[in-house]
Amino acid sequence: MFIADIRKDFYEVVANQRVVLLVAPDIDALCACKILQALFHCDQIQYTLVPVTGWQDLGTAFLEHKEQFRYFVLINCGANVDLLEMLQPDDDSIFFICDTHRPVDVVNVYNDTQIKLLIKQDDDLGVPSYDDIFRDEDEEGEDSGNESDEGSEPSGKRRRFDEGAVERRIERQRAKREWEARRREILFDYEQYEYHGTSAAMMFFELAWVLTKDTKDMLWWAIIGLTDQWVHDKITNMKYVTDIATMQRHVSRHNHRNEDEENSLSIDCMRISFEYDLRLTLYQHWSLYESICNSCYTSCSFKLWTLNGQKKLQEFLADMGLPLKQVRQKFNSMDMSIKENLRDVIEESSNKYGMKDIRIQTFGVHFGFKNRFLASDMVHATAALLESAEKDDSETDNFIKALDALSRSNIDRLHSGIELAKKKLIAIQQTVASCLCTNLILSQGPFLYCYLMEGTPDVKLFSKPMALTLLCKYLLKAFVLSTRNKRCKLLPLVMAAPKDVEKGTVIVVGIPPESETSDKKNFFGRAFEKAAESTSSRTLHDHFDTSIIELKTEDRSKFLDALITLLS
Amino acid sequence: MFCEKAIELIRELHRMSDGQLPAFNEDGLRQVLQEMEALYEQNQSDVNEAKSEGRAELIPSIKLRHCCLLRNQRCVTAYLYDRLLRIRALRWEYGSVLPANVRFHMCAEELQWFSQYKKSLASFMRSLGGDEGLDITQDMKPPKSLYIEVRCLKDHGEFEIDDGTVILLKKNSQHFLPRWKCELLIRQGVLEHVVS
Repeated sequence: MFIADIRKDFYEVVANQRVVLLVAPDIDALCACKILQALFHCDQIQYTLVPVTGWQDLGTAFLEHKEQFRYFVLINCGANVDLLEMLQPDDDSIFFICDTHRPVDVVNVYNDTQIKLLIKQDDDLGVPSYDDIFRDEDEEGEDSGNESDEGSEPSGKRRRFDEGAVERRIERQRAKREWEARRREILFDYEQYEYHGTSAAMMFFELAWVLTKDTKDMLWWAIIGLTDQWVHDKITNMKYVTDIATMQRHVSRHNHRNEDEENSLSIDCMRISFEYDLRLTLYQHWSLYESICNSCYTSCSFKLWTLNGQKKLQEFLADMGLPLKQVRQKFNSMDMSIKENLRDVIEESSNKYGMKDIRIQTFGVHFGFKNRFLASDMVHATAALLESAEKDDSETDNFIKALDALSRSNIDRLHSGIELAKKKLIAIQQTVASCLCTNLILSQGPFLYCYLMEGTPDVKLFSKPMALTLLCKYLLKAFVLSTRNKRCKLLPLVMAAPKDVEKGTVIVVGIPPESETSDKKNFFGRAFEKAAESTSSRTLHDHFDTSIIELKTEDRSKFLDALITLLS
Repeated sequence: MFCEKAIELIRELHRMSDGQLPAFNEDGLRQVLQEMEALYEQNQSDVNEAKSEGRAELIPSIKLRHCCLLRNQRCVTAYLYDRLLRIRALRWEYGSVLPANVRFHMCAEELQWFSQYKKSLASFMRSLGGDEGLDITQDMKPPKSLYIEVRCLKDHGEFEIDDGTVILLKKNSQHFLPRWKCELLIRQGVLEHVVS
């Protein structure tokens, strides 16, 4: 069931209890977790934090902790599957789920006792009504009771009544069949597309605000959570802009309190500011030139994998009057005269080159003399740490490192994350360039397909879901801009990359087609399931995003064929 | 030379200057005591001889042996006392149950001393702070907050706290627990205090 009052029905319920936090491995979940941890520290609510990387992990963690804990809080996992059936909990376990995955499973919505959804009821959900899906069993019992009563009537009338009863029974069965067919249709429509709702970090920030325990740190984490959804293309532009406006209100409220003529804040205090900043990834921690070359938006608009594109870039820089020497050095060392009007200069020139949206609404943070970060910088750095492909670190080690990087006291870790993110972005751009130049993207009819061979440089980076999804999106954007085939521009993309060479598995990701007004709804979750079933391929649907699966390399071709037939 | 064995005992302790307890060197101790016995007997016979026969030239050797005996005695008592001090520190570090490998290094008398020390510390703690007593082995440094966040560094299995609740300590899980329940494990290195 949906929680109406998050303070009364969630926070006060767990106030004197011990809770388990099960957190999924994405940045929004990490931010939500940090906010919730800070709230729990305030009120001294004892908790245990367990990172979970997939459904199996979730099941194991639940089994390990179910004896000792009654209350489970699931962050960014658990809403889109029938949780009670999967975990088989005892009757006194209560689950609080704050998940951005939609559609929310209908059993989770209509369970009144054990599942509490920390999701706003109007959050673009479209849940089918109760009567359409669930039918009370009592109705049938009454009817059979009537029949037996009627059967005891005198025999003269019996035959007529019997006929009537038979007719009624046939009518009922027909109605039931119709109802079931409609139910199947409704559920199919409801569960066909997977998409994302409001950020979990924002939900928990709202809880903090309602409790008036919100701090600037929590606000910053909420902003990072929202920006993560935008960077990884999980929400539509409209929703992003609306949510930014909500956050802007909170930011002005926080900023309003502190500064005036006489009492100005110390330089070490945290200041969050609204920025209408450039869409160049990590540009303040890199050189401007590198950032332009490695940001998806600019690289795709210029088509930097072609010679023509490189020339256009040089023209662009010349047009703005930026000398190459300046542009290639670290951003912090650029001349002040250039840095002052940089954003406006770039915006003006970009309009000439067809890049209308070079600036995006976002937030930046500023504490101490050296530390300035944009929200997207934090997202890229933390994502790189979370998915770093070091051999010795397990996934939970990476989770802990990424969680630490979000605290203000661990700037070193954040900087190492930024370095990793730079490497990741360079790798993505190079892979995109090579895929396009060697025509690795093939049209399979209803979708485009690309397979990264084992020897590809940096292929280890792409064995991780978030990195592969990012690569997928960049690749599709670049492909759409570079192909001349009009039909191909509207196709979705399926991408496969080797995951574990020893076990012989590949990771497969599907993303919806690229368009300006895309609603980001992804149907590959169901499609992958059906294709795997029909060919009995050995797949592992372990990831919380159903459009990402693991597959045995040998089954790749038959799985693809099944997918093609399914979607044609 | 005399007293060399005794110096070796001291050197053994000096090598482990960080408070670790090496194994009880029963052999070494026995050798020192044997040396002392031998010296004493020689001295006894010489003293008797000197007294009965008035041979004054034996007096320096008697004096030498006497000094060696005193030296040996001093070294041995220093050895035993330093070990006791280390064992006392173990109570404060490990709690009342010592790990098996440490207990292995103690001799029977030291174990007995340890249990006596435990008892007297316990009765002292009970006598403080009214009815319940006060556990002074907790909070060695002034605590900043009632509850702390700890991260588990290795798989420790299940951990039972005083009120009966059990927590599963798995690697890389984080917990928010009352300070006094975690202090012991932090000292042992299983948990790490997370400062954010």
